[in-house]
Amino acid sequence: MRLRRTGGLRPGRLWAARRVWLLALRDLRLEVRDRFGLLSVSAFLGVMLFVMALALGPDEGPLRRAAPGVLWVALAFMSTLLSTRAFALEVEDGTLEDLLLTPGGKEWIYLGKLLFQMLLLLPMGLLALLVVGGLFYLPLERGFALFLTLGLGMLGYASVATFYAGLLSRLRGREVLLPLLLFSLVVPVVLAAVRATVGLLEGLPGDEVAGWWQLLWVFDVVYLTASTLLFPLVMEG
Amino acid sequence: MLLRLEAVSKRFGRDWVFRDLTFVLKRGEAVALLGPNGSGKTTLLRLMAGLLKPTRGRVARQGLALYLPSPPAFHRHLTAREHLLHDLAFHGRAGDWKGVLERFGLPENRPLAAFSSGMRKRLALARLLLLRPDLWLLDEPETALDAEGRGLLLEVLWEARKEAGVVLATHDRALAEAVADRSLRLGEA
Repeated sequence: MRLRRTGGLRPGRLWAARRVWLLALRDLRLEVRDRFGLLSVSAFLGVMLFVMALALGPDEGPLRRAAPGVLWVALAFMSTLLSTRAFALEVEDGTLEDLLLTPGGKEWIYLGKLLFQMLLLLPMGLLALLVVGGLFYLPLERGFALFLTLGLGMLGYASVATFYAGLLSRLRGREVLLPLLLFSLVVPVVLAAVRATVGLLEGLPGDEVAGWWQLLWVFDVVYLTASTLLFPLVMEG
Repeated sequence: MLLRLEAVSKRFGRDWVFRDLTFVLKRGEAVALLGPNGSGKTTLLRLMAGLLKPTRGRVARQGLALYLPSPPAFHRHLTAREHLLHDLAFHGRAGDWKGVLERFGLPENRPLAAFSSGMRKRLALARLLLLRPDLWLLDEPETALDAEGRGLLLEVLWEARKEAGVVLATHDRALAEAVADRSLRLGEA
């Protein structure tokens, strides 16, 4: 039996989707005001790409060959840092319990945190792509295809990273445990994303790269579905 | 029945916090949890809220349960207005957030980082009043409040118990006697 309340809860998928959006926007606002996460990710990205360019350059050949790998290493570390931030904001301020006490399923918390990350990752990823393009002589004529690869790869990576960040959010040493657990699971996503990026840069036709995109898409769907279903279970008290 | 605990026991490691506790709370009732530090008042509140699982026994709740920890938790970069608006939106409720902030004497647009602990406690009470949960679970709600804040707390708790159930953990006997219908003592052999 549920008790009736005036102006009470509005169940349903539309309502859950609204919560996802509200949580992502709130986290975005917090991150922009805190600035710590964005600054640390930007600094990491800039320093790493610059050092790699110095180490591998100045010849164009080695730089171009290394570019896809360097890009995805940068994106992977960036996503790991941001996924930790998604829950660190709640843990630092002690507000995670408020979210967990909100009635209804807990899936929306996971999806809201994931959306928050994607809203940051996509522009940051685009920035990384442009910086790599400049430093590593990367041809960006196939910009849309590269951005599609970036989006698919990041979604797969971030869906697992967000799940583990939530799972580890209440543990000490989470910053150490997260990469250890995460990297073993996301190897197929990183591999497929790097292969698709290499294919695009080598000028392979779209249908030859499409196989990697399909693989990325399948991993995205599997990881996203499994993480969404498992998240409420791992967040129980 | 808003809340029912059936033979609930909780253990951390080898230490039992309490054993075989049975408890029922009805709408319109207020219960005070009393006991010395470490007697398990906060643990019991967290069990009631669903934030902890009992080692043995069963906890059943109905309706919206909100837990006010001590000290209350807020995002330091958000303002009081933003907090209340987000809470209303998350819970799918509407309410006069502006009126509630005025009643509690809180500024709308100052980030919570600039709030004193007393102001944070007032905001936590304002939040509960606005969201009107079915079950109010309060951990030492009187701490950090000045005389005026304490008066507001009493008003709010009397309002709450008209339509909800209230469980408060406190060391303040006067508050417990003023608000609660009965009390539950923890930590007694």
